[in-house]
Parts: sequence; structure tokens; C-alpha cells
Amino acid sequence: MARILFTVPPLTGHLNPALAVADALSAQGHKVAWAVHARQLRDKLPPRACVYPLDAEDPVDSGIADPQVRGLESVRLFFEDYTLPIAERMLLPLEAIARSFQPDVMVVDHQLPGGALVARKLGLPWATLITTSASILKMSPMIDAWVENQYLGLQRRYLPAELTVERPDFSPHLAVVFSTESLVGTTHERIAAPYAFVGPAKGDGRRAVAFPWDWLQPGSRKLLVSLGTVSRDRDTRFFEVMMAALAEMPDVQAVMVAPESLAASAPPNVLVRDYVPQLELLDCVHAVICHGGHNTVCEALSRGLPLIVAPIRDDQPVIARQVIDAGAGLFMRHGKVTPAMAKTLITQLLGTSSLAENARRLAEDLRAAPGAKGAAERILQLAAQAAAKPALRQVA
Amino acid sequence: MSSHQEHTLALVIDHIRSTVNEDWIADFEIDRETRFNDDLELESIEFVKIAEALQKHYGTRLAIIDWLSGKSIHELIGLSVGDLVDYIAAATEPAQA
Repeated sequence: MARILFTVPPLTGHLNPALAVADALSAQGHKVAWAVHARQLRDKLPPRACVYPLDAEDPVDSGIADPQVRGLESVRLFFEDYTLPIAERMLLPLEAIARSFQPDVMVVDHQLPGGALVARKLGLPWATLITTSASILKMSPMIDAWVENQYLGLQRRYLPAELTVERPDFSPHLAVVFSTESLVGTTHERIAAPYAFVGPAKGDGRRAVAFPWDWLQPGSRKLLVSLGTVSRDRDTRFFEVMMAALAEMPDVQAVMVAPESLAASAPPNVLVRDYVPQLELLDCVHAVICHGGHNTVCEALSRGLPLIVAPIRDDQPVIARQVIDAGAGLFMRHGKVTPAMAKTLITQLLGTSSLAENARRLAEDLRAAPGAKGAAERILQLAAQAAAKPALRQVA
Repeated sequence: MSSHQEHTLALVIDHIRSTVNEDWIADFEIDRETRFNDDLELESIEFVKIAEALQKHYGTRLAIIDWLSGKSIHELIGLSVGDLVDYIAAATEPAQA
């Protein structure tokens, strides 16, 4: 049985795919441990999970630095104020954890470069989990050079010079991407890494969420409206515009993931919930309005659902563009959309057959992809290779 | 602001409105201070469309993409209509001015 150490940032969209992979590994009897920010993640992990806290000595919980920023500014801030400080703080605790747990293989979320650096320093075999396909694309020479420079500074402070590389964040052994090549498209060149496209994780491992299923009426056209967990509480304007548009569309029912304080002003055909069983809901709806979050997009497309994408920050503009380029979605400008425009777009979303056809075409690949189980298999292959080559196992 | 700059500003604003082509932009106040990322929520692909249209209008006197590629990430994030207007106005200054 293999010993596998997972390390992921305290962000739902990164935790969920890792949970599904860990679930597949544990089910086969392998020993899984988690090195995580336990104050934020402990209650989202399985009750008997083996957890090593990374944040025992952190003064406060580190949230996303500024929930209001958008576009390229959010990318800069995510690096400078979130990813890099977390990486710096976790290097020594994680190194100690890895020496103590003695993993055969480490599984490191791509947004947690501290994990990548520890695996590199200790010479452990490791896999990168990439929860958004935007991470693997070359964007522009200026942005790519800036990213490399950020990583260079981090490496210089921790790794011996001979281990420093251009992109330490990608494992040279295995880079698991929770998407498919047909969705990623060919508009952008990819950063070189040993990719395994496994498609969406498919959700095993998430906790159950109660939902009033009898609110959904047979015969109505149903929408899920969600901006994801990071932007849900950003501001209420977007949700208010959606409610105003939907109030004039009584044949449509929408479940909106938003602050529950909005429920009082919601029209009868809009149900406001602050947390929903997203996968089960996606099985009941006809289309989705979302922020272009990678998990939500892949989960919707896996079911052949067309989308309206209203990207805000981080990787969302890139993922939204993939959906639009594939012909499966329409663009909505998050902070500017008016009720009139929203109504026009929703009518198009539900009435344009090519959107649904293209979504169904993408769904074939997404569903055929092996998901978390495929990722688990590749990780076990890596562990087996490493066991056969003792030179890789240098943890002392 | 010189009349050449004012003329350039009006032309850039026209190109922004026609490229975005959504209901809100018709009455949205755009001036030199308006930022492409924060105030207009333009995607990079839309900004490139505007740049290409302006490039087509002015022809070889401009090299907007080269000008952009020399910008740092901080400059790109804060890029305003005025920054673009200043570049275009300087590159297309009438000879007699």
C-alpha cells in the first residue's frame, strides 16, 4: 500500500477535486494524509482523515486578499498577496511533515508552490493537481516572464541553486489536469509538462447538502445561477440584475447561489440558497449562468448544459473564452449587465440549439475522461515507479 | 489638451463604444481617467479588437501592440483611456504642430 501526502490550499475549488482523488486512493486501502490549513479545512475533510496542520503558527487565517479586485489585477494580487506568502510560511512546516510521514509520493495542488518546492528539495516523486486549465497555458510573454520571476524569488530563498528551475510549480513526473484537451482548445500554447488530462473529478467525497427538491416544477425551464464560493459575497448587484430579468420570465425557474439575505426580494421563480448540492442540481437544470469557474464549467458541460459566462477574476476570463470559442456559451459582463441585456441573453441561452449541441459534443469527451479514479491510477503508477527506483527516495 | 488630443480622445471613445456594443456603454461616461480593466471590465481580447481597429484607422504610423508589449503588469492593470490617447496622439502628431 502506498503512502500519499496531499497538500492543497484552503479554497473549495481546489479541495473538491483533491478530495475525490484521495477518496479513490483510500478506497483501495492506500494511506492518505493531508498537510493543509487545518483551521479552514478540517471540517471539510473526511472525519477520520489524517491531518497535519500547516497553519499552527500562522497568526490569522489567510483569506483571498481582496475580494473586490477583478481581471489581471486579481491575478497579480493572488500571486503577490496570497500564493507566495502562503508558500513562504508553509515551507518549513511541510518539510517537517514530509520527513515525519515519509510519503511514497506527494500530491500537490498547482496553486500551492510551497508543496512543489518541498517535494523538489526532498527529491520525492510528486504529482501536480491542476484544477484550472488556464494554469497550463502561455498567456503573453510579459505575463509569463513575470510569473517566472515570482517563482525565481521564492526558490532562491529555499532551494539550493542547482534545483532552481523556470517553472517549479509543475511536477516533472506527473501533471494531472481536471479538464479535457477538446475544451482547452489550441488558441494558446501550453507550458511544457507531463500532462494527464483526466477530465472533471466527478465529485466523490463532497459533503451532502440539504435542498428543497420539491420547489422545482416539472415542465419549467430551469437555470442554476452561481458565481462560485469566492465571489458569492462580493456584491449583490449581479444577483439583483438576474432577479429583475428573471421576474419577467415566469416560465423559467432559477436556483441562485447567493447570500440568503436576497431571498426576501426574490421573485417567486427564483430560489436563493447560500450553499447547494451543485452536482445533483446540475442533473436537473437546462442551462447555467456562472462566473466561468473551472469546476462549475466542467461540471455543467459534462452534462451537456450550455452556459452564460460572466467572468470576474483569476482564471475565469480564460475559461469563459474556452466555453465561448467551443460554441457552448454566451458572454455576460459581470459588473455592467443590465436586466434588459440579461433577459436577452437568457432567452438566447435557452433558445439557441447550437449552444446545447456544442455543449453535448464537449460532454462526450468530459464524460469519457476517467476523472478522479484516473488521476488516482496515475498517482499509483508514479508511486510504483518510484519504489522500483530507490534513487528517488531520499527522505532521511 | 490640444485639439489633436481632443480629436484622438473622441475617436478612441467611439471605437470603445462600437466594439463593446452593449446597452450600458451608450450612456457610460468615458474620459481620460477611465481604466480599461477596472472601469470598463474589458477582456484582453476586446482590448486587442479596439487596438486593431485604431491601428487600421491610423495605419503604419502606429504600433500599438509593440507599445503594449513594453508595459509592465502594473502598467497594464492600470491602463487608462488617456494612456492610449497620449500614445496615439504623440505618434500621429500633425507635422505643422
